[in-house]
Amino acid sequence: MRPVRKIPRSKYKTVIWMCGIVIVLIFILVPVYLLVKYSISDTASINTGGSPVPLWPYHPTLRCFIYLFQDFEFWGVVLNSFIIAISTVALSMALGVPASYVLARQQIPGKKIILLSLISIRLFPDISSVIPVATFFIKINVHSSLFGVILAHTLLSLPYVIFIGVSAFENIPRDIEEQATVMGANGFQIFFRILLPLAVPGLVAAAIYTFLLSWDEFIFAHFLLHPSGRLLTLTLYLKQKLTFQPPQNLLAAISVCLSIPVIIFTLLVQRQMISGITMGSVK
Amino acid sequence: MIMVKKFRKIWPLLPAAIYLLVFLIIVITYLLIMSFSGSDGSFPSLEPIQTVIRMPKFRDALLNTFLFVLFGTPVELLAGLLLALLIYQSFRWRNIVRSIFIIPVAIPGLVTATLLFILFDTHGGFINHLLMGKYSFFPGIISSSIDWRGTKFFSLGLSLMGKVWRDMPISMLILLAGLNSIDPQLFDAAKTMGAGIRQRIRHIIIPLIIPSISAVVLLRSIEMWKEFIFPYILAGRYNLLGTLIESLYINWSGKYENGAALVALILLICIIVSALIFIWLIDLLRRLLSDIER
Repeated sequence: MRPVRKIPRSKYKTVIWMCGIVIVLIFILVPVYLLVKYSISDTASINTGGSPVPLWPYHPTLRCFIYLFQDFEFWGVVLNSFIIAISTVALSMALGVPASYVLARQQIPGKKIILLSLISIRLFPDISSVIPVATFFIKINVHSSLFGVILAHTLLSLPYVIFIGVSAFENIPRDIEEQATVMGANGFQIFFRILLPLAVPGLVAAAIYTFLLSWDEFIFAHFLLHPSGRLLTLTLYLKQKLTFQPPQNLLAAISVCLSIPVIIFTLLVQRQMISGITMGSVK
Repeated sequence: MIMVKKFRKIWPLLPAAIYLLVFLIIVITYLLIMSFSGSDGSFPSLEPIQTVIRMPKFRDALLNTFLFVLFGTPVELLAGLLLALLIYQSFRWRNIVRSIFIIPVAIPGLVTATLLFILFDTHGGFINHLLMGKYSFFPGIISSSIDWRGTKFFSLGLSLMGKVWRDMPISMLILLAGLNSIDPQLFDAAKTMGAGIRQRIRHIIIPLIIPSISAVVLLRSIEMWKEFIFPYILAGRYNLLGTLIESLYINWSGKYENGAALVALILLICIIVSALIFIWLIDLLRRLLSDIER
């Protein structure tokens, strides 16, 4: 914890500060409230015919959610997103965890340079790197398939997994390994029995981060699935609905379904994620 | 023998390294080859450059993106600074307030864009109703509906607003880390040694906070250059470089594929150049400041 510095503040300053907090809270929470409000609105509360849109729906209803949950297509879309996200997590952990172990624990000359060059792919804007990747995937015939999207999302998440993983392994004291070696454990045993369990909290954060990255990713999914039009992820589904101008309450309901896992997970792993986010802005 | 031993140590690194390096090579070579290939497959060819430069759409997109970066970056810095200063000192509900401050970045960008799409609808949108004075708690400012998504100024401004709203927690976190790195003891020590408020701000706060401010400006300006999702949803008719790449690649079914790659390359160059200029400016500023000290 940071030591708390107590500064005597005048009442005047405190009032300004509190006003600031309240205004920012309103600025952040009102849009969130409105999204939820629209998702439970009945038709009359949206198509008001000139009279103001009510601040609380006339007859709150879960009709849009029920409609979505009874829709076969919607479940297919959710399933696609889920398959992509889970496979991305599996693939990027399988590649990333061993790599971050080596980078954290072995003496390799030029370790920093290796780490930097591995992460450097993320310096390209997504919208720039998606063109070569999509063109290449057409050539090797994995375009318009979930597999292609999984490969692309792994490309996006792997640098984060390595980055978070390295610090997870580095935080484990070296003594433990030395003692295990003295007691006769071999490399595999040390890794799987000792280091891996200790690194789990950090690695879980990396896994959740990867899941969310894939879950709400739009650009690569859009470019890699586009011409087929049959395979959709949740984000593409929302965009498709947006083009056809459906009722606003349906749009809001899809948005809520898309956001809920993201919001819950983000707030749960807030601390571990902060380093991910600040590093994420380097991408 | 030594090689074998080394290999045994580092082989778990190889799959990930190969995966990333292969993609890196693909991205770089394809981007370069496509940017200089003619539609008939000839290489090298200046055809994409000629096509793209002649497009009025490209010039518009370049200018729009430049303005987007120029206005968006300072706004986002100020928003982040405001949030960071508000929760810098500890108070009773600090952790809860901080969690709430992080919510915008936890909502997918596409969802925020969709929400703005709904709220700023021309007919029957909440914001138009609000500004027309249909609610008792808000004064009427405009007399007729504004076509938010149909005009260049409003649609790009709306995209900018959405982008800033979503990303301000990131700036906040970076600045908060910078503020927290200022050790209160340093402050007290300076005070004991007789440094006035002015000197303390100049010698402690500014030098310690400048690195995180420049980090925010650098990272945010890069983000602004490559922005895609907000203008894609909210400013369909008015392109930024990001949305131009998309429309060239997708909407023309392969006709402007190479043009799209070229614009992608140009975007990359813009980012690198603006980052270098910024780093040079910061360096200049630092030297200027230390000159004044002397």
